[in-house]
Amino acid sequence: MAPALVLLAGMLLYPIIYTVWVSLSDFDLSTFQPSGWVGWKNYEAVLADPGFLQSLKVTGVYLVVALPLQMVLGFGLAFLLNVEWRGRGLLRALFLIPMVVAPVVAGGVWRMLLDPLWGVVNYALGLVGVGPVEWIGDPTLAMVSLILIDTWRWTPFVVLIASAGIMALPSDVYEAARSDGANRWQTLRHVTVPLLVPVVAAAFVVRWLGAVKMFDIALAATKGGPGQATDVVNLYIYEKGFRGLEFGSASSMATVVLLITMIITYFLFRISRRLENRW
Amino acid sequence: MRRFLRLGAVVTAFGLTLAGCGSSTTEAPADGGGLGTAESPVSIRVIANDAFAKQWQDQLVPEFAKKHPNIKVTVDGVPYNDQLAKSMLELTSPTATYDVILGDDPWFPQLAKTGGLVDLKTDLAKFTDAGYAWDDFNPSPLAAGQWDGHQYGVPVRSNLLLMFYNRELYKKAKVAEPTSETTWEQYFADAPKLVQDTDGDGKPDAWAVGTYFTKDPLTPTIWQTVLNSNGGRLLDDDLKVSFDDDAGVKALQTQIDLLKYAPPGASTYQFNEPLEAFRQGKVATMFMWGSVYKGTAIDKATTTLSEDQVGITTLPAGSAGPGAHRGIWSAGVAKKSAHQAAAWTFLQWVTSKEGEQWVGANLGTFPARDSTLQGTPPAPWLKPVYEAITKGYEAISKGQMWRPRLPESDAVQQILALQTSRAMSGQAPAKDAVHQAAVDISALLKSKGYAQ
Repeated sequence: MAPALVLLAGMLLYPIIYTVWVSLSDFDLSTFQPSGWVGWKNYEAVLADPGFLQSLKVTGVYLVVALPLQMVLGFGLAFLLNVEWRGRGLLRALFLIPMVVAPVVAGGVWRMLLDPLWGVVNYALGLVGVGPVEWIGDPTLAMVSLILIDTWRWTPFVVLIASAGIMALPSDVYEAARSDGANRWQTLRHVTVPLLVPVVAAAFVVRWLGAVKMFDIALAATKGGPGQATDVVNLYIYEKGFRGLEFGSASSMATVVLLITMIITYFLFRISRRLENRW
Repeated sequence: MRRFLRLGAVVTAFGLTLAGCGSSTTEAPADGGGLGTAESPVSIRVIANDAFAKQWQDQLVPEFAKKHPNIKVTVDGVPYNDQLAKSMLELTSPTATYDVILGDDPWFPQLAKTGGLVDLKTDLAKFTDAGYAWDDFNPSPLAAGQWDGHQYGVPVRSNLLLMFYNRELYKKAKVAEPTSETTWEQYFADAPKLVQDTDGDGKPDAWAVGTYFTKDPLTPTIWQTVLNSNGGRLLDDDLKVSFDDDAGVKALQTQIDLLKYAPPGASTYQFNEPLEAFRQGKVATMFMWGSVYKGTAIDKATTTLSEDQVGITTLPAGSAGPGAHRGIWSAGVAKKSAHQAAAWTFLQWVTSKEGEQWVGANLGTFPARDSTLQGTPPAPWLKPVYEAITKGYEAISKGQMWRPRLPESDAVQQILALQTSRAMSGQAPAKDAVHQAAVDISALLKSKGYAQ
């Protein structure tokens, strides 16, 4: 037990404690170490930083749109894949490809595909008289593109979890529903959905924890731009820390994001438990 | 309770162990570690940018080994975005992994501030060859490795922002080729003619310009150059913001206006996209780092253009003269290196008159020495390039065309990149973007103790 605790302390606690320490200190670039204690000064600056607040907003927009989209698509596709049809196995295997592509590569490749001059997407749109569309250059479309790329990459993950959940549903309950005369919609509404709630909740929480870390696709595809249109909070913190070398501010931001994430995750767990108990 | 106390003690001990790791430091030997012998060669490591680290390892190091077979050099490439932080960490760590540290133009104040670099002129004077001519360096590139009165770096890969132009596209458009005298007004008068339909299908397939437009710290260097060539500066001598005025707005607006004559999607252009567009004959001019010349005009594997199709000159002139922007990679020697003599011997060879000739001819890297620039180029194709570089160095010196020389330089460029991107994408007018950049930079510098 003790070695495991020491390992846990070293691997998990130390980086967090160090980050909090840096966030409360003045980071000395000449020693590359936190130096003088500055109290809440970094936090005050961060909470007054319009760029940081904007990046939180951008992250919120991305999460609110991308997560439900991926859940709906993921479970919808899982239902389709659960039905017997020819080629289902092949499609299942193909579905795994986006998941194994490195996020930076995915971002870079999609950036090329969406390029108005060289990209195949605009070429195809051009054939039907549309475009060229500035997928990455337009502030609104850049966020749409980011969500599309992320959805392309992560929907298969939801499909996998959902498929496992659907396959594990007890057949006797369906037989009972059928003998009671339930039609397809009633079966879905009163049997399948309630039984899948724990799976949906678990998938959502896991995806939430993954999505809140969104960084590399944005870095490779849009660099957070144009302006701050796709500047998700982790990218903003990275730029502040590792490009601007403002480690005190960056650590304060990271701590704030950690707290927000923990609070929201706590509520998500409570909601998911309540949903499980309800059905 | 006792269990918790025990756990606390273990965590504390662990923390102290980690903290203790940083307490001891190594000192460089007085003889600089020597230059090695056949039986006992010396190994040195170089931290470089991954864009050219392999080229150095595969070509430059074997050439150096012919002269100094007892010094084994390993060059490690690091992605540009990670290199500054990694180098800072390296210079402040208790032991030296790297003996030679390469840094981009604005990084040397930050690297030097760690105290981890030696002054090459004084600290390593005892290891300097008698024939090593410091005075022969052009002051512009040499200044990139200076900070606070010390010479911490020597230019190993001189670079500057220049204007490339495609002679064929200029000819097709019936427009006179640009020169170092061409002004921004003349450039913009010609730009609409350079958006052309070259294959006669009724749609434009060649555009006037390709350069940095996306959100990137290098993107503002374009309008910074415009500002400088009109006599303006980002910061004045007291390090106070001095671009929040009509000159600053005009400079940024110039870059925004360039986008009108750029290919579709150019607002996302970083380094590769304009380069590819130019190399494939899609844009008539490109404002880009001169170091890409060899791959753009000479190397058939990387370009569709030939030497006679590619012209190179300074950026269009403003009221104070032509424009260019300094982008010198310098190299310094780590104070904690156990092999300072070997590290400095390597750098002396790379930056010697002989080394510059070899590097120029084989790697296409620009020289920093006046004797190289004024002498016979090692390859005929370098002649117009050297002429452009010479004019560029003059422009740089005259207009102080470089990024801020501060430890906070990258933070300043980050702010400029964000506001430039807002303006380029139409999220803010140029005036608002310039003003916001000025406010943010002023606040940043004030928070770091600079009087604002």
